[in-house]
Amino acid sequence: MNARYQVERLPEPGCSMAGDGDESHLCSTCAFSHACLATGFDRARLSALECVVEHLEPFHAGDFIFRRGDPFHALFALRSGAVKICRTEGDNHQQVLGFYGTGDVIGVGGIYSQRFPCDAIALDVTYLCRLPFPAISTLASQIPAVQQHLLRVLSERLGSVQRLNGNYSADARVAAFLLDLVARVAARGFSPTRIHLSMPRTDIASYLRLAAETVSRVMSRFRARKLIAVRGRDVELLNPDRLRDIGQALLPL
Amino acid sequence: MSAHIRPPQFDPALVARYDVAGPRYTSYPTAPRFRSDFNETALRAVIRESNEEPIPRSLSLYVHIPFCTSPCFFCGCNRIITRDPAQAGRYLERLYREIELTAPQFSRDRLVRQLHFGGGTPNFLGIELMRELLGSLAHNFSFSSEPEREYGIEIDPRHADADYVRELGRLGFNRISIGVQDLDPKVQHAVNRVQTFEQIQDVIVGARAAQFRSVSIDLIYGLPFQSVAGFGRTLDRIEQLEPDRVVVYGYAHLPEMFKAQRQIRAEDLPDPAIRLALFGCALERLTAAGYVYIGMDHFARVQDELAVAQRDGSLQRNFQGYSTHGECDIVGLGVSAIGRISNTYSQNARDLVGYYAALDNGRLPVVRGLHLDQDDLIRRALINELMCYGAVDKRAFGDHNGIVFDDYFRRELQRLQELVADGLVEEDDNRIKATPRGRLLVRIIAMCFDAYLGEDAQVPRYSRVI
Repeated sequence: MNARYQVERLPEPGCSMAGDGDESHLCSTCAFSHACLATGFDRARLSALECVVEHLEPFHAGDFIFRRGDPFHALFALRSGAVKICRTEGDNHQQVLGFYGTGDVIGVGGIYSQRFPCDAIALDVTYLCRLPFPAISTLASQIPAVQQHLLRVLSERLGSVQRLNGNYSADARVAAFLLDLVARVAARGFSPTRIHLSMPRTDIASYLRLAAETVSRVMSRFRARKLIAVRGRDVELLNPDRLRDIGQALLPL
Repeated sequence: MSAHIRPPQFDPALVARYDVAGPRYTSYPTAPRFRSDFNETALRAVIRESNEEPIPRSLSLYVHIPFCTSPCFFCGCNRIITRDPAQAGRYLERLYREIELTAPQFSRDRLVRQLHFGGGTPNFLGIELMRELLGSLAHNFSFSSEPEREYGIEIDPRHADADYVRELGRLGFNRISIGVQDLDPKVQHAVNRVQTFEQIQDVIVGARAAQFRSVSIDLIYGLPFQSVAGFGRTLDRIEQLEPDRVVVYGYAHLPEMFKAQRQIRAEDLPDPAIRLALFGCALERLTAAGYVYIGMDHFARVQDELAVAQRDGSLQRNFQGYSTHGECDIVGLGVSAIGRISNTYSQNARDLVGYYAALDNGRLPVVRGLHLDQDDLIRRALINELMCYGAVDKRAFGDHNGIVFDDYFRRELQRLQELVADGLVEEDDNRIKATPRGRLLVRIIAMCFDAYLGEDAQVPRYSRVI
């Protein structure tokens, strides 16, 4: 019955951190908070449903959050940081399947098989909430908005994987990648034109099914055409409309 | 930031008052701050990470050739005096190993856009060895083929002629910097650097024939027996050679640090007033001859790329003084060479024994370095703007670096007020700007923002600010 929720003691890194939940309130960036609150479920009511949200100790760059084959018991919501989902194939080739940031939920791939089908690795200092799965599932059955949110997460995941398998130009892939990241940051109310790429370029390249040099060449070209500004790992979209034209085919409708 | 750069104005009284020791800010933090716990593992990790940026930076190579056949008494560089040509062979063997160990760490798509050979005396190497060295570099690194690439070399005209320089041009060099110091024979004898005007002219003929993009001449003021009249004659003749750049260094007499300088008698040095007049003379003549004052000790013709870079905002301060291509990572190769990869500096062993030992054991010869923290990076950016443009737009700088300028630099701005009162610098809500009189003392302005100067009483030994 008791919520094992711990009050965070660490100072928050950066501004995009959410640790503002307490005994009766959910973190503002929690993937489910909007869905729950919209239907009148505050933390007290969630506790009553034995929906226990556990804040985990921080993960550091390179740490595994789960590995392919681990039994599936929970979903994870990112309170801050960045995570890549990937699969290591023969001869150590790593195929990156996705990048996730603050507010995103990871682990949905394990729901069906009850084992995680891939690895999740922190790219940066990352703070996670652990959402035990049976509880979330119960919650979903009682709160339609939570169920819808889960379905949305699942379908988005499917859509993006399918799209990248298509036959698209490098320019379209990179443009869509940048726009997608920006859209996800914007959905949480942050600057809609600036993003920090915490992932190495080899991971971006793997995800987009391109060579690392190609990713850089395309971005250099975008920079020369003043579509983006790049400073180290920080990228600003100067002309999102033009990028949208370029990445059109890969963007969700 | 560079919209309007004022010409400097020489105020001897003011300059004399601020004639204190200070860093030249070819790096920030300065080299005495480097730490010995920055080792090969750290350097390799930094290079790996720098390869993983969305657009990895291009490369600028600095190659140090430490040998000289005779000691110039003014010199404070890391060099080895020898007439034994076999030394070059032993050195190059290790240099090639360093190149082979270093280059593969960088992604192949990181092009070398800038190359600089310094010394010592790079032209200690004959043209065959030069060809071999460039071959090794080109084989291991990816060289840019674009015409804007810059290959520069420092030349001692006593050991080079027009043919040698033309050959350098064939190897790809397109910028040359010639050590002249002074043409007055009495001064030349006193510093053990005797060379004729014709030798210098010959080198320049070769450079022009090979269509070098920039010819730079180094002079030094403050040497023994220099007089304003004599230095004026040197400047007259230098102007006849029509160099694209002239660098007028101040001689720093630090015999306790540099052994060769003990050959120079303190009583032969010009007194502070003459020292100042010598620089004033150079400033006046070069400006009148159409050169733009870039900053510190550098002058350039209006169309020279250094002056262009200052106008378009791409000028940077680095180990060669001022340079374009500020966006590159610098790879230092050779004994004592300093690199600048991402947010780090790293320096190779400063003696041949250490340099050879590391490479003979298959290790990179890095012996010290520094990881810059956020505060170092902000201050480095600020000091770079001051050194390059003599001005900073507070709001733009704050936005760019994620700070509120006046809050972040509250204490430094208080310190600056003394310089404001002295008319060196103007400060208001929007900007900091060196006055025409303050431009020659920009190091003093930059020193206000150096976080390391206040904290230790034992200030490392720096040369005079003017």
